[in-house]
Amino acid sequence: MIGLSSYLVLAALMFSIGLFGVLTRRNAVGILLGIELMLNAVNINLVAFARFHGDLLGLVFTLFTLSITVAEVAVGLAIVIVIFRVRRTVEADRLDLLRW
Amino acid sequence: MTLEAVGFWVVAVVLLASSLAVVLTPNLFHAVLYLAAALVATGAIFLLLEQPFLFAVQLLLYAGGVVTIVVFAIMLTERLIGERVRQTSRHLVNGAIVAAAVFAGIAGFLLRSPLATPRPGPVDDATVAIGRALVGPFAVTLELLGVLLVTALLGALYFARSDE
Amino acid sequence: MTPDVALPLLVLALPFAAFLLLAVVGPLRRTGRPAGLVSIAAIAISFAAALTVWARELVAERTWGWIPADGGPIATVGVLVDPLANAMLVLVTLVALLVQVYSLAYLGDERPGALGRYYTYQSLFVFSMLGLVLAPGFVQMFVFWELVGLCSYLLIGFWYERPAAARAAVKAFWITKLGDVGFIVGIVLLWSATGTFEFTDLFEKAQANALAVPGLATIMFLIYLGAVGKSAQFPLHVWLPDAMEGPTPVSALIHAATMVTAGVYMVTRTEPLFALVPEVLTLIAWVGAFTALLAATMACVEGDIKRVLAYSTVSQLGYMMAAAGAGASPAGFLHLLTHGLFKALLFLAAGAVIHAVGTNDIFRMGGLFRAMPQTAVVFVVGTLALAGVPPLAGFFSKEAVLGGVWEAHLTGPFLMLALTALLTAFYMFRVVFVAFFGRAHAGGHPHEAPWLMRGPLWLLAILTLAVGIRLALGGGEAHEEAPGWLPPLSVGLATVGFVLAWAMYQRGAVDPARVAAVLRPLDYLARRRYGLDGLYAGVYRGIILGLSRLIGWIDRYLVDGILNALTALTLRAGDALRYIQSGRAQDYVYGVAFGVLLLFVWAQLWRR
Repeated sequence: MIGLSSYLVLAALMFSIGLFGVLTRRNAVGILLGIELMLNAVNINLVAFARFHGDLLGLVFTLFTLSITVAEVAVGLAIVIVIFRVRRTVEADRLDLLRW
Repeated sequence: MTLEAVGFWVVAVVLLASSLAVVLTPNLFHAVLYLAAALVATGAIFLLLEQPFLFAVQLLLYAGGVVTIVVFAIMLTERLIGERVRQTSRHLVNGAIVAAAVFAGIAGFLLRSPLATPRPGPVDDATVAIGRALVGPFAVTLELLGVLLVTALLGALYFARSDE
Repeated sequence: MTPDVALPLLVLALPFAAFLLLAVVGPLRRTGRPAGLVSIAAIAISFAAALTVWARELVAERTWGWIPADGGPIATVGVLVDPLANAMLVLVTLVALLVQVYSLAYLGDERPGALGRYYTYQSLFVFSMLGLVLAPGFVQMFVFWELVGLCSYLLIGFWYERPAAARAAVKAFWITKLGDVGFIVGIVLLWSATGTFEFTDLFEKAQANALAVPGLATIMFLIYLGAVGKSAQFPLHVWLPDAMEGPTPVSALIHAATMVTAGVYMVTRTEPLFALVPEVLTLIAWVGAFTALLAATMACVEGDIKRVLAYSTVSQLGYMMAAAGAGASPAGFLHLLTHGLFKALLFLAAGAVIHAVGTNDIFRMGGLFRAMPQTAVVFVVGTLALAGVPPLAGFFSKEAVLGGVWEAHLTGPFLMLALTALLTAFYMFRVVFVAFFGRAHAGGHPHEAPWLMRGPLWLLAILTLAVGIRLALGGGEAHEEAPGWLPPLSVGLATVGFVLAWAMYQRGAVDPARVAAVLRPLDYLARRRYGLDGLYAGVYRGIILGLSRLIGWIDRYLVDGILNALTALTLRAGDALRYIQSGRAQDYVYGVAFGVLLLFVWAQLWRR
């Protein structure tokens, strides 16, 4: 029988992989992809909890998260394109205008 | 091993494999395709959790929407650069250690938490209930979400517009 | 308001009104002379009212509650008029009026603004002094006591551009403060022992023998300390000679006739309380007599005419205090009044001389009798009065003091005071002979002072004489019956002093230098003011400055040092830590991840 913790551990693994991607990718688009993975892991958590607790709230929130993620991706990619136009690069570690 | 368990393990393996591929493949375009696979696998997880509606949404929004946008963006930047965008990584060891530590933290937390493992019996399709909730108690949130999406759309348009 | 306190209140209010007007209306103050006229007009009416009060022999008390508390006000303000206050009112307003008129001419060369400032201070001073005189209780007395101290400070430092004047003002302020600390502590202790500040209540309790509180002697001694500072008693007398840095009219008013006598007035006023503690009274008498003698010896070697008069004032204040200590406070108060007249006269005359010759040094004067005969005559009148020559005012009051001290069987103080009487005549005639007779030294052409200055001089001279004659006719208060040999003795002492001065400074029969050589140690000590100023300076430099330096060092290097170290540390830390802000988003994600890990650790270890 697949229990709740199985889903949660799976989500945790996916989350960590996403985090790894965010930490290691040089390309801004790659970082965004990592973020997508992390968000999806969260969604798995939400749905799993909702299912195992018989609670509708998790499902509704999943819908919201999905929608917001889409918006985030749209804006994020737009920013990436603008940055690329201005700096001629999408390498995240060269985007350090805000440093000391 | 029940059917559900088989399904879970298969989906889990696909999911993790495609996720790893997303963060490791040097080809950005491939990474996006692997992401699509991971997203579909996530949708499959939803199916395993008996949420077909969410599965549908996941397919439409993510696999259909997000992936498309990302592909567009990549093609746009590649066209601007004029060469294929290489996807390189840095500090792989550091990232792996930190990610592993975070996972260990979460897993340790999960192991020590008393989780209600018994799964309730099969449920009806939750779509109707979700719909009622969205126009009922969450109506305002839904409207706000609409505003957010419009704003994001306009913002993205503004950012991505051509200079002239 | 009852009509009987309306007049005293008027006396009090007018100078205050003048002060307020001058202080608030800047343009009027800056006109100088008109400002002075305002002040003079106010004080003139005030004087007339005071005279009326005195002539009516008004006795009244009216108080208003102050410092409210459960069970009635803790302290009161108001007026308390009795013969003592009446006489003092007349003296204060009279001398103040004459001094202010005199100042119009004396300070005529000042800038109008400075003159206006002078009259503003003067009005405030007169108000404060009158408030002190009329005080019905210790609290009001202390408030006005400090106010006159403030005015004294302001007026000594009137020429504040002169470093010496500024220093003298500060010195006067702080040294009198030394005594005031004792005063206020004494007042509060007395209050905590008896529950009242009011003179009337206190006297009633004293009458009913209800004041046998433990430590009353200590309390009264502390209160007496205030008088020691204010009335320049040994060892706090050192400020008064330095206070001569102020304008001469100020010296005449504040440092001869009125403020310095506040201590004597206070002791006289609270005499029923002091009478309960004979040991303190004896101390007062001894200190007074010793002050008188000490100051007289210093006056003998002083060359500055104002300082001679200042030491003379200290000496005469010693007389008054000795009388008060001997239980003959009426005699002391009488001497206060007469001394107020003739010492103001002497100061104003000295001011006229200084005004004419432009120096304070009597050895650079000489032969002034011919140049300014009127001033010389009034100065001699004042000198005779101070030396105690009948029938001038000083003779009777001084004799009363001596008689009172003798009656109290205080042989030591009596002998000191008698010797002081001799020295008084000597040093005063020394000034007279050196400055007004003998060969003329002064360059330029000294001339008689303008009538604005001469008028007050003559008036005071006539008053000195008139009061003396009135006392001679046995009018007024019946003073202590002195033994029959006392008048000849005091006249004889004065004569000896006169002859000595004449022989040394007029006739030249005895060379002053040889006398000084014979009395070398005494001369040496007196010229160095018995080392007291040096002692204070040493104490000041050694202890207070040392302490200040220590505290300054602590402040600069310890307090500031810690702060500076903290600041430097913060700056350095910020300098080092700012590199954390790499500007790269992924580094921040590392931070977030570490934060999450920390949360996990915290949850694992502590949250349970």
